[in-house]
Amino acid sequence: MSVLGAAIVEVKGLGKAYGKTQVLSDVGFSINSGECFGLLGPNGAGKSTLIKIIYGVVARSQGDVRVLGWDPQVDGKELRKHLGVVMQDDALDEAMTVRGNMLMFCRFHGIKGRQAASRVDDLLESMSLTAKAQAKISALSGGMRRRLAFVRSLLSNPRLLILDEPTTGLDPAVRHALWDKIRELKRNGTTTILTTHYMDEAEVLCDRLVVIDQGRVKIQGNPKQLIQDHCPGYVGVFNEDGAGTGNTIRREYATIDAFTSDMKPGGGQTGVIRPSNLEDVFLKLTGRDLKEND
Amino acid sequence: MTSHLRSSIESVRLSGLVALRHWLVFRRDFFANVSPTLVDPFLYILVFGAWLGTQMQSAGPRSYLEFMAPGIAAMTALFTSFFEGSYGFYVRLVYENVFKALMTTPVGPREVLFGELIWLGSKGAIMSSFVSLVLVVMGVAKPNYLLLTPIMGILIGVSCGAIGLLACTFVKNINQFQAVYAWIISPMFFVSGMFVPIAGMPALIQKVCWLSPFYHGVQLAQATLWAEGVLSAWIIHGGILAAMAGLLATWMWHRIYPQLYG
Repeated sequence: MSVLGAAIVEVKGLGKAYGKTQVLSDVGFSINSGECFGLLGPNGAGKSTLIKIIYGVVARSQGDVRVLGWDPQVDGKELRKHLGVVMQDDALDEAMTVRGNMLMFCRFHGIKGRQAASRVDDLLESMSLTAKAQAKISALSGGMRRRLAFVRSLLSNPRLLILDEPTTGLDPAVRHALWDKIRELKRNGTTTILTTHYMDEAEVLCDRLVVIDQGRVKIQGNPKQLIQDHCPGYVGVFNEDGAGTGNTIRREYATIDAFTSDMKPGGGQTGVIRPSNLEDVFLKLTGRDLKEND
Repeated sequence: MTSHLRSSIESVRLSGLVALRHWLVFRRDFFANVSPTLVDPFLYILVFGAWLGTQMQSAGPRSYLEFMAPGIAAMTALFTSFFEGSYGFYVRLVYENVFKALMTTPVGPREVLFGELIWLGSKGAIMSSFVSLVLVVMGVAKPNYLLLTPIMGILIGVSCGAIGLLACTFVKNINQFQAVYAWIISPMFFVSGMFVPIAGMPALIQKVCWLSPFYHGVQLAQATLWAEGVLSAWIIHGGILAAMAGLLATWMWHRIYPQLYG
């Protein structure tokens, strides 16, 4: 085991290829203790592969990775004792009950007996799942499944929490409940890696983030600073001919007045102006939308 | 204690937990899961032994039912382990994402695969021992070496289960296991010496039989449950079966490991 620095996660010159297909190229970043760190990018950008390399279930092709001081490729088993991972598809054990899922994970983390029972009860309670403890997984709603996957990842009191699109497809109430929980964990010193498609989520939760596109880091930094640096002010969106049949125009504006004066006078043209966000930054740098598939 | 030894012990503990997970799931639907294991041997005894057997001329010192009985114990291990290794593993891997979830814990691909082998061996051991015990109680098998039947079940379970696991790396969908069953398992089953001695078969088939783990499993079961030539059978057929189990498990390991650890 070797520690490269004070950072919880250090990724340097990381590359991953499947055969001749290069999925990640020269990826580098570091995550400090207690940070909430975002991984953003369109589908197929390589985020999930990167996450799997970080928790040691995918081998890298090039570069160096250290997580909590361990090389995930060498000491994955030891490393995962200190991690909590929520995957995109929940990956709950359908053959077991809610409580059965939790207790089985306790066993894998070496948590036994009354300690396991009490920890499971507390965590189910924290996400309002106590009433569903004996329910089959198939009886849970999408939101309940995600909440269960989330609390299951907390069983080991993780030092690093990895959340792969934790709120995708959730209703706003559940989404905000998870945000609150992530904030609470952050206050308690848990470091978090978060992948998301939701720009508001990244802006609200992440201290820093990287945007990955086609396997490469496009930009990294604090979300607000990135917006300030690359796309300050506002973005107006309107239809070019005013009749709703032309192309959609998306343009940066320093002020709202500038947007208003840009609309075709007397043309019945309507549009929307809003503060610029991370998606605008991404679009500006790559010419592509964050939600697009490659 | 060295860190390597500590890590190995932890690895064995986690592998055992993977097998425990499978047992807990199996137990939830216990009646359905054990039904084929209980009903099939009973039907074989009834139809082939007690009924068809009486219509056939006995070819030696024992009745046809006594001749076939050890094969039924071996058959139980064959089918329970092959189906668990093929359909069972495939469903866990592809449809249920069980391993994906387990590998967010300290469990790694090594523990997943070793856990599968423990589960296959355990199922083979428990099922074939239970059937052997029933055969002894029925008076169609001898009890002298009954304690060896769990080991026999492990050897058959691991070797035939590894064939099922290997099949998972070749099939493109779950339906294709039917071809594996038809072209590999069925011939192995019918040409094994379980129903008729292979000595009466063409020389080429007799030679090919030696490549079949189930043939050696049947020879082992017959020696053990007839209480005849036990030592030589365990040295020759037990040794070959153990070697086959090791080879098949190693081949399976090299095929599946890259799928679990990209």
